[in-house]
Amino acid sequence: MNRIVQIAIRDFLAVVMTKGFIIGLLIMPAFLAVSIIVFPRFIDGGSFQVEGEYAVVDPTGAVFPEMDALLDPRTISEQRIEEFRQRLDQAPEFLRGVAGTALEQAMIEELGLAPNVRLLQRPADTDVEAEKAWLNEASDGLRHTALIVVHENAVEAAGSDPGFGSYDLFVAPNLDDRDLSFIHTTIRDAIINARVSRQSLDRDALESVLRVARPSSITVRPDAEQDTMPGLNFMLPMAFVILLFMGLMTGSGTMLTSMIEEKSSRVVEILLSAVSPMELMAGKLLGSVAVSLVAMGLYLGIGLIALSSLSLFGLLDPRLIVYLMIFFLIAFFVVGSLFLAIGASVNELSEAQQLQMPVMLLVLSPMLLWPLVSRDPNSTLAVVLSFLPPVNPFFMLMRMASTQPPPLWQVWLSIAVGAASVAVAVWVAAKVFRIGLLMYGKPPNFRTLLRWVRQA
Amino acid sequence: MATDAAIRLKGVTKAFGEMQAVDSLDLEVPVGGLYGFIGPNGAGKTTSIRMIMSILFPDSGEVAVLGQASALDAKDRIGYLPEERGLYRKMKVRPFLRYVARLKGLHGSDLDRRIAGWLARVGLAGIESKRCDELSKGMSQKVQFVSAVIHEPDLLILDEPFSGLDPVSMRVLRDLILAEHARGTTILFSTHVMPQAEEICEHVIMIHKGRKVLDESVPAIRNRFDPRAIQFEPLDPGADTGALTSIPDVEGVTDGERGLEVLLRDGTDPVAVMRSVMDAVPAARVELSRPRLEDVFIGLVTDSASGEDAQHLRAELQDAEHSGTPQ
Repeated sequence: MNRIVQIAIRDFLAVVMTKGFIIGLLIMPAFLAVSIIVFPRFIDGGSFQVEGEYAVVDPTGAVFPEMDALLDPRTISEQRIEEFRQRLDQAPEFLRGVAGTALEQAMIEELGLAPNVRLLQRPADTDVEAEKAWLNEASDGLRHTALIVVHENAVEAAGSDPGFGSYDLFVAPNLDDRDLSFIHTTIRDAIINARVSRQSLDRDALESVLRVARPSSITVRPDAEQDTMPGLNFMLPMAFVILLFMGLMTGSGTMLTSMIEEKSSRVVEILLSAVSPMELMAGKLLGSVAVSLVAMGLYLGIGLIALSSLSLFGLLDPRLIVYLMIFFLIAFFVVGSLFLAIGASVNELSEAQQLQMPVMLLVLSPMLLWPLVSRDPNSTLAVVLSFLPPVNPFFMLMRMASTQPPPLWQVWLSIAVGAASVAVAVWVAAKVFRIGLLMYGKPPNFRTLLRWVRQA
Repeated sequence: MATDAAIRLKGVTKAFGEMQAVDSLDLEVPVGGLYGFIGPNGAGKTTSIRMIMSILFPDSGEVAVLGQASALDAKDRIGYLPEERGLYRKMKVRPFLRYVARLKGLHGSDLDRRIAGWLARVGLAGIESKRCDELSKGMSQKVQFVSAVIHEPDLLILDEPFSGLDPVSMRVLRDLILAEHARGTTILFSTHVMPQAEEICEHVIMIHKGRKVLDESVPAIRNRFDPRAIQFEPLDPGADTGALTSIPDVEGVTDGERGLEVLLRDGTDPVAVMRSVMDAVPAARVELSRPRLEDVFIGLVTDSASGEDAQHLRAELQDAEHSGTPQ
């Protein structure tokens, strides 16, 4: 036992004390921080401006004036102030308190520059087919952006048909989505205004009748209550899976490289003069699990600090962290011992990559299947996957962190399956390890590995 | 612990797929012995040693080491220098030796002193804080040797300890092995360079293609394989040596590697013949032929010493002798 601990300590320190490891460990949170804090500042939404000339064919004669009114600079600025006020109301309370003026600034930026649009009225009997060519004509002023053809019955239902008409829209090539949606919104508003005034109604009165403010819901817990975070329940399972994955890869990846180094530098048989292959394997697994725990502890700590700084700490069931650890250990010993067997049987990292591929695909599969499982955590697929080694830790954890956690017996069954898979993986890996360790030369393929398992 | 044998192998057999690496090998090394384990590359030496060390397990047969059924139960009392050996490139010498010593059950405050002492003995005093990848090949070989003996084992197994060493380092290592033996350590070392074994060993075990072909003490081998010949080099290289054949008790004269071989009849006194030879032709050198392990080995594993097989084997052994390094 003492020898195993000695090996574990050496391997742990050999990894943890390197600059590469420390940088690698910090690069992930740093990258996340950069993508959350810095990137959005470079995505300069405020610089976009809706611009262009719209040609309007309006047989009703009522829509064009309404559009003209809507595009009046004064109306636009009033609307923008209103929109800003609404957005501020919708922002979660904690953001309003914390952010203050920075938030206002961000919102003003997000609203963007005021549109610069000129309307051109075309006669009601315009040949639409011929007019389309206008869209592609060169212009020395504003670009020819849209040809709007309002239906005759757009404002007043005609004949026996009680329904209203609408409009046809032809646009220039390469039009930005934001231009397009601005055009649609403007015409829609103009047509509504025209209809409302045709029927002698009051638009403001109508709107206030139709408007029902949507408050943010409040999640009530036994000890506290706070605004519901809509995305959180969706993100939590993924966060757990990513945590598990990063922890797993940190330790098992460094273990693979250190194993290959020991083999290629021929130090391994010197070690075997003092310890048995099994002690060596156990020591290496133990050392790497410690490396993984350091990485996971750091990431988990950052996550918890982030949650508590947003006063969302209460959203996390502490028992989930305990289960995270259990499932992490299962995943680590299964994947880690397979990696170790691979590391022991090759001479170089490049040879390892080929054998590593199937294991990596398995480990990555939870990321790919996440949307399916997360949408319906109790579907047959999700249940089967959460009992299927070696991916069961990922899927069970995903289900547990979801809004519809599985029954407890399923959790413990998955843990039992996991424990059995650990035993099998360690047994198989030990056989490959013992033989592979002293084999130099041509790297083995899967058939050779299987033969070693049967042989040892 | 059984007092009679430090290592005992009985009918040990090991195959890798089609290849029979070791074939019903019996072997016994008594406590305190200094045994050479010799044979050409691929004879099965390393496989046998790995089975002794419980790194590999035999397909059949029994292994006992220091009275235990498995070397795993006696690892702290065994020193092992494998043929495939190296150091952690990025580790410094002292931490490496400290690590190996701890794995062998050594602890305590005098560990660093012991490390410094051993490094001084191999002529590497003061390199404790060098990184292993800064060491020359000879230096790292010595550090590896220190790693095998740092815990002062009862049994020392050295697999090709001299490979890759320059003559000076080879001498240092030979003296260290002899010193360990003088301390009472049982030593088994393998080599495919026969003169080394001849120089150091008390007893030689030869294997070829996984089978033991010889297991005898060096004096007994000398006796049994006495070529009964005299090496003769005339003072004048052009001298007529025809007179030698007419000396009584001389069976014939052949060309040897270093001059002429004067073959003696059974039961003759070589000293008398040497005198007659010197009288017959003025001599630059007259010497009693001693059996060489290489010749013994070749004689044992091939039908005739001049056959094609023998030539091939001799070339292989001499090639190895010059290069010194396997693989």
